[in-house]
Amino acid sequence: MRRAYLHFTRFPVQRRVIESPELAGRPFALVEESRGQRRVVAASTSALKAGLRPGMTVTAATALLPELRHFPYRPEEEARALLALGEALLSLGPGFQLAAPDGLWLDAGAAHLSGGEPGLCARALELCAGLGYRAHAVVASEAFTARALARYGARRVEVVAPGASARALAPLPLAALEGGLGAGFSALGLTTLGEVAALPAGAVVARGGAEGARAHALCRGEDDTPFVAAVLEEVMEERLTLEWPAESFEPLGFALKTLVDRLGARLAGRRRAAVRITFTLRLDPTGRQEVSLALARPTAAAKLLLDLARHRLESLRLENPVAEVAARVDADSEDRGLQLSLGDSPEGDAALEVVLSRLVTTLGEEALFAAGLSPVHRPEGAQGVGAFQPPASREMLLGELGRERAAPPPAGGVTRERPSRLLAEPACLDAEVAETGRLLAARVAGRRHRVTAVTGPERLGGEWWSDAPYQRDYYRVHFEGLGPAWVFRDARDGRFYLQGLFD
Amino acid sequence: MSAAEQRVGAAGSGSVVEQLRERIRQLQAEPRRYLSVLRTGLAPVDALLPAGGFPLGQVVELCGEAASGRTSLALSAVAAAHREERLCAWVDGPRELYAPSAAGQGVDLSRLLIVRPRAPEQAVWAAVQLARSGAFACVVLDLTRGMGSAGRTARVGIAEARKLADAAERGGGLLLLLTSTEAPADGVTRLRTESGDGDGWSVEVVRSRRGGAGARAVVPWRTLYPELGLEDGGRVLDVGPVEGDATPDFLREGAWVARNGRGIQGQRPGRDGAMPSLKAGLAAVAH
Repeated sequence: MRRAYLHFTRFPVQRRVIESPELAGRPFALVEESRGQRRVVAASTSALKAGLRPGMTVTAATALLPELRHFPYRPEEEARALLALGEALLSLGPGFQLAAPDGLWLDAGAAHLSGGEPGLCARALELCAGLGYRAHAVVASEAFTARALARYGARRVEVVAPGASARALAPLPLAALEGGLGAGFSALGLTTLGEVAALPAGAVVARGGAEGARAHALCRGEDDTPFVAAVLEEVMEERLTLEWPAESFEPLGFALKTLVDRLGARLAGRRRAAVRITFTLRLDPTGRQEVSLALARPTAAAKLLLDLARHRLESLRLENPVAEVAARVDADSEDRGLQLSLGDSPEGDAALEVVLSRLVTTLGEEALFAAGLSPVHRPEGAQGVGAFQPPASREMLLGELGRERAAPPPAGGVTRERPSRLLAEPACLDAEVAETGRLLAARVAGRRHRVTAVTGPERLGGEWWSDAPYQRDYYRVHFEGLGPAWVFRDARDGRFYLQGLFD
Repeated sequence: MSAAEQRVGAAGSGSVVEQLRERIRQLQAEPRRYLSVLRTGLAPVDALLPAGGFPLGQVVELCGEAASGRTSLALSAVAAAHREERLCAWVDGPRELYAPSAAGQGVDLSRLLIVRPRAPEQAVWAAVQLARSGAFACVVLDLTRGMGSAGRTARVGIAEARKLADAAERGGGLLLLLTSTEAPADGVTRLRTESGDGDGWSVEVVRSRRGGAGARAVVPWRTLYPELGLEDGGRVLDVGPVEGDATPDFLREGAWVARNGRGIQGQRPGRDGAMPSLKAGLAAVAH
């Protein structure tokens, strides 16, 4: 099976710089506590140049480099970041397998869709560069070959043809044999994998046993390690613990960027678009705040999501500092992309989302909606409320095709007779009624209006199965000085009510 | 034949790719179709307006009595924008917009954002935000009081009117203000609507910078509501009275329940004598 290995040199350091851009070019180290001592796990390039080495205690490192900044190393967060990266790469391959802490295998079975294996590598590196990571990519038939060449090889992109693994591995140092496999060969004075591969197999088995035989096979380019694709999580959630509880928005803003970038990459890899995202802020020492973000136009664009998240959270007033922030995609939909006309820019959607977010923040979510029609006979129940998610414009690339617009659905006769304004509650009319029952005049808002024309009745009744049945005779009435109105006579009390205006 | 078509013709039966390239060149050279006016679709109203419709990038005020056709006029502008697949917003201060009627007038409800602010003073702010964003081709701000509510209608101050005008200009969309005669706002263009009688309503240009002030048109109600039926005094059907209880007849309790299982003459079955025979009656009917 052909697989690509992507090696991210000092992945935790790269991740730290992406999350805190001010650390770029500065000496810093990631430290881990082991056996009561804090030791360096990874260090930035400038720190390494100054003599820092992984395994040093923090005391020794600080003595060497007084301006050194150090941060805790959290393996689970590194794994989560790597997983997000793997999901982002799903647009290039059908599956990936994590090789924590700094690499992953990608199924190269779909390389022909990316212009062959070199094309796949180039696109994968481009995608990683877009997310801020630098990597080495190698495609080979065996897991070990791909990984060893990506980690110890000289080239950033390499494609090893099937059967050519042994020759490609030959110049690599013995350190490429991980897990102590190379120690025995090193004691023999060997330095490269090629020298190990050249040993007679029988002698290696006799002296090194099963482990030796395995190392020998790896060096000869024989590896039958299966590819076990990572299982995708059902719920897309990203979580980040802040270094120290944030009292201002600035540190929270950096954390948000990290979370939203990861979510955006994961969504893009799955070809999904977020419809609703919930941000959860855990406060220190106690407290919890949830803020949800509903999008009118589903998107996976991290920049837009970040703008909206910033806007929603900036105006938030919290009692305690924020210790942890999490973002979860509650609802997502298929990402159909955006077909623009020649010269169009996608800023229109961004403007829409930003203004909707601003209105939701100030007015509340229930104040914004799109009306819908309900199959209900009672006039006040005939309109429903739904989320505002307008369909995308069907504008096409070639203008002439786009101009063939779909005709609006024919309006039914009944709906045309409904008033454009419906009162929230029918208002009881102080009506003057003739002996025949015909409405002659009525007082509306303190003024008497004579009736000049009446059409009706339209008898509506029903809901006898419920607690509040209704039986009404509706009339369209023209009041002098007011205009046409929708009035009904309630059969329960025989009185006239004003329900709507044909404004 | 246009110059471009001549060029294509000169190339003769060139390859399809060449023809398509030429077509793309034409499309790119063609000025983009910007929407500058929203036509209401009501010819007498469009003829009144100097631009032939509601001009985009401006504030237009529709001022009139409670039922004088303002809302329907605004809905027709919204429907025109929806025909171009643009988005619209309706800031519904009095909470009275009725969706079935809007849908009947050609409004695409999925493209219409309805905003119902809790506090009346938030309505102008919301409209400014919506208009300024540029995402909506038409924003309607309903500043009327609503029939049921008490108190005076708040007037739009000069500062707010300026903000609205500025927002419409920056966003490039149409901002329609619906106001009542007792509290008009300061729109650049003001149309006054009036309900005449059962036959028609009138619209008059009260204020317009581009001229045309004083022009007036009378439009029949059936252009807005085709089946309103109020011409010539209307038509009243002669219908019988209806009972307040809406329970259908088939669900009403039958007479046998009131009789508690007794016969139609009150006799108890098997105790008060035999039931009257129907045989004689049937025989009479047969003859």
